[in-house]
Amino acid sequence: MIQVSNISKQVTTTEGTLSILHEINLSLAAGESLAIVGPSGSGKSTLLGILAGLDLPSSGSVSLNGQDITAMDEEGRAAVRAQTVGFVFQSFHLLPGLTALENVALPLELQGDKQALQTAAYYLERVGLDHRTSHYPRQLSGGEQQRVAVARAFACRPTILFADEPTGNLDTGTGEKINDLLFDLNKEEGTTLVLVTHEHNLAARCGQRMVLAAGQQVSTGSAA
Amino acid sequence: MQALKMLLRTWRGRQLSLIIWSLVLAVAVVTSVSILAERIERALTAESSSFLAADLVVRSSRAIDPLWIQEAELQQVRSARVLSFASMVYYDANMHLASIKAVEKGYPLKGVLRRTTSPFTSDIELIEEVDFGPAAGEAWVDARLLPLLDIELGDEIELGEIRLKVTQVVVEEPDSGGTYGAIGARVLMNYSDLEAAGIIVPGSRVTHRFLMAEGASGADGFADYSDWIRDQLDIHDRLITPDEAQASVADAMDEGRRFLLLAGSVGVVLAGIALALASHHFAAGQTQQVALLKSWGISANRVRSLYMQQSLWLGVAGSMLGLLVGYGFSEILIYAVREWLPISLPMAGLRPWITGMATGLLCLGGFTLPALWHLPAQSPLAVLRQDVQVKPVSSVARGLFGVVAVASLLLWYSNNVYLSLAILAGFALTAVATILIGLALLRAGKTYGQKMGSVWRLAASNLWRRKSQSIIQMVGFSGAIALLMIMAVVRTSLIDEWRWQLADDAPNHFLINVAPYELEGVRTMVSEQNLETAGWYSMVRGRMTQINGQDISEEQRDRHESFRRELNLSWTKDLPEGNQLTAGEWWDKLDLSGDIAPVSLEDQLAGELGLSIGDQITFSVGGLVFEARVTSTRSLNWDNMTPNFYFLFPEGLLENYPRTNMTSLYIPPQQKLLVNDLLRKYPTVQVIELDKIIERIRTIVSQVTSGLEVMTLLILSCGVLVMFAAVSLSMSERLQESAILRTLGSSRRLILGIQLVEFTVLGVMAGLLAAIGAEAAVAMIQRFMFDLPFAMHPWIWLVGPLAAGLLVGALGVGYSRKAVVQPPLEVLKNL
Repeated sequence: MIQVSNISKQVTTTEGTLSILHEINLSLAAGESLAIVGPSGSGKSTLLGILAGLDLPSSGSVSLNGQDITAMDEEGRAAVRAQTVGFVFQSFHLLPGLTALENVALPLELQGDKQALQTAAYYLERVGLDHRTSHYPRQLSGGEQQRVAVARAFACRPTILFADEPTGNLDTGTGEKINDLLFDLNKEEGTTLVLVTHEHNLAARCGQRMVLAAGQQVSTGSAA
Repeated sequence: MQALKMLLRTWRGRQLSLIIWSLVLAVAVVTSVSILAERIERALTAESSSFLAADLVVRSSRAIDPLWIQEAELQQVRSARVLSFASMVYYDANMHLASIKAVEKGYPLKGVLRRTTSPFTSDIELIEEVDFGPAAGEAWVDARLLPLLDIELGDEIELGEIRLKVTQVVVEEPDSGGTYGAIGARVLMNYSDLEAAGIIVPGSRVTHRFLMAEGASGADGFADYSDWIRDQLDIHDRLITPDEAQASVADAMDEGRRFLLLAGSVGVVLAGIALALASHHFAAGQTQQVALLKSWGISANRVRSLYMQQSLWLGVAGSMLGLLVGYGFSEILIYAVREWLPISLPMAGLRPWITGMATGLLCLGGFTLPALWHLPAQSPLAVLRQDVQVKPVSSVARGLFGVVAVASLLLWYSNNVYLSLAILAGFALTAVATILIGLALLRAGKTYGQKMGSVWRLAASNLWRRKSQSIIQMVGFSGAIALLMIMAVVRTSLIDEWRWQLADDAPNHFLINVAPYELEGVRTMVSEQNLETAGWYSMVRGRMTQINGQDISEEQRDRHESFRRELNLSWTKDLPEGNQLTAGEWWDKLDLSGDIAPVSLEDQLAGELGLSIGDQITFSVGGLVFEARVTSTRSLNWDNMTPNFYFLFPEGLLENYPRTNMTSLYIPPQQKLLVNDLLRKYPTVQVIELDKIIERIRTIVSQVTSGLEVMTLLILSCGVLVMFAAVSLSMSERLQESAILRTLGSSRRLILGIQLVEFTVLGVMAGLLAAIGAEAAVAMIQRFMFDLPFAMHPWIWLVGPLAAGLLVGALGVGYSRKAVVQPPLEVLKNL
């Protein structure tokens, strides 16, 4: 499902070239889950961006569903993202002017889905927010906002879900509930899950774990 | 439809408020200014038509061709003939050389006649307005004819072979201002009585007028007929348009129109700035959303198309709403100033609506689209990393787009290259000065602010930290202030210029043909009534007999009456006040010692007579002949109602010829009988009565002035909108900072103090910089549009910064109050 070979990322700054990722390799089959862990600044989010096709590596290649997205142009990668990928972000990224229902329905509507609102309502019910559909993000708690984001991510039925520190902005209790939700849905939908986290218990729930330190792949293997 | 749905949701989320209200207000202001301008313009045109008693007049020395009348009937254009001449009227042994005016049925085609049966009354209740002239067998006369002939209403006067029953006193004729030559008391009669009177024979000195006005065939039919009539004219005929009917009114109206244009153009530019600021603000708030859309795999093209469609919907909806609001606004304004604007305003045509809509769409194209253009290029990575931000289209490119949009709008709106250039130049100068000097001022503020109290220090370093935003805000403020200053200065100088016309004691009568031996007596009569003259001028009556050694031809005589009749020649040492040389040199630069006398001509007359500098004219004064050469031409100021002369000579040349004297003076209505006494005692003195026409000029000028005030108010509101848009530009960041300061326990005083200092400083700087641009633009506008001399305006350098500091400071603090009234968490959550 995800095949990564030898990807590196360098950026040029005023103080010279900076290596953010160095020769990362990875293979993840459909339905599996991977936690990327490591200290701040180790390159976790950069790696996630490259895996999801939001950014390009300086060298190496990434294949999603057998398609080499590093060889594509931005339009090609956009098409792959539209078909394959879903996101959950640390800061939720809900649109403030849209209700919970509309936030979940928006990506479906943009794909031309006529049933967008019904599907959105179904997923909101699955994350336990069927009574909050007409609320705006500012009227929801942090945990509720992230649940809306999770519903939005799953509503598009992605084959791969990328989550960037999904519970980083939430307290432990709420974070646990979101994690449960994420893994339950992941299991039910058969999605491949890649998440970036600081939390060991969250990482422990994933099938695989990759540890990054200063852009180097320290270890990859079974989380257990 | 997806785009519309997104737009409606964004609107509901209140992110669109500023941009849509800017758009609505921009369109509303431009539409209402255009509607008002067009309605006032139409009212003024109608008013000036009434000076002609028609929409168009042919004045002729020959009888009106019956074909013209037939054609007018055929083309459904209203028409009427008017004949004017001087003739003796009798009652018993009394007689008077009256100014007879015979009018055909239908007269006046425009405007009204005011008549009364109470002679010499000024009581409005006793004066009746009618749109018809006397019936056959009747005469309506000037009040002063009654004592002159010793008659009363109901008596019959003799005119030629017939008797006419005097039934009414004429108080005012709509077209009385057209002829300064009317000397005797007016007798208005029916055209059909002329034949029986038998006083008009071939060769009689009469003036024929053919009055035409729009009829059943409407404006188009009338335009066709006007074109046709133009082709029928020959050298005997002269076409008179409403504008020519009354020079001083036409001038005031023309300036009024130009001011309306200026006001509207300033409105257009202000609207553009407001929209530019709002769009900038809106685009900044959209980058995160675009990144999100792109992370979902929405392609850049799709994003662009979505935003284009949204902009289009926004443009159409905002403009439509703006048109409605603009219409409502104009109605409210007209209602509010109905006391000032007593003339009834005709409805506006299509043009204001088109202008309003074009403003909306063009502003959107010029300001909103360039501001949104970069959005599709936003990297989807921004959803993961805050530091990844797309670079907006460069300010220079956006500025250019905006300038092109505004310039096209200005040109379309004003149809005046100078005005458009002056406004753009003023604005550009202000913007460049703001960027250069503003940055230096901010830097200086930061350096010296460090040595001041905490409020000043924080404020100065905030301004410097946000310098690009501060500069954009300052450009907005100073641009708006400069434009408002331009308006205020031009308005003030126009009103000053017109003030004399509004003065109650402007001269309203001319006394001419006062012989030297009568001068003392007339002077005494005038001073006994405690009246003051505008000074006495001497003149000599002479004819032109030859031009460049050739006798005046028949053709020339037919072409212009100045070749046929005696002219008033006068002399002066200095160029009279209000005169301006348009060609040649004044006496002081000439050698006056030759045999040929130098003469200075009024430039329009010189053109009509086909005379230019160097031409030699032979004058005959009472049989004595002398030669003169045209050495200069002058433009005259007809507005000041003091004696003006077409032909001026240096002193010492004409003094020995038989001369008469003239003056102008103000005679109040209650002392009007002085004219009768004067004429009875000095029957050869001629009195030209301009009191009625001046009264009308005064009314019109005061209406134009009121129109000006309304416009100024309207544009002022647009200026405040720009300020508001500029203030809200940095508000979310400011509120966030204030909320954090509040969380840390800062006092309300400190937080509001910082905002007050920041905004006041921005305002004062903007006001100062605006004065530079305003002074430059005003210099251009006054020079090229209003023909006013250049003058500095010290007050704008003082009032500008003060007013701007106060206004911007108040707006800023008002806006920031939220930060100290609401709990900090709520403020942060709502951002």
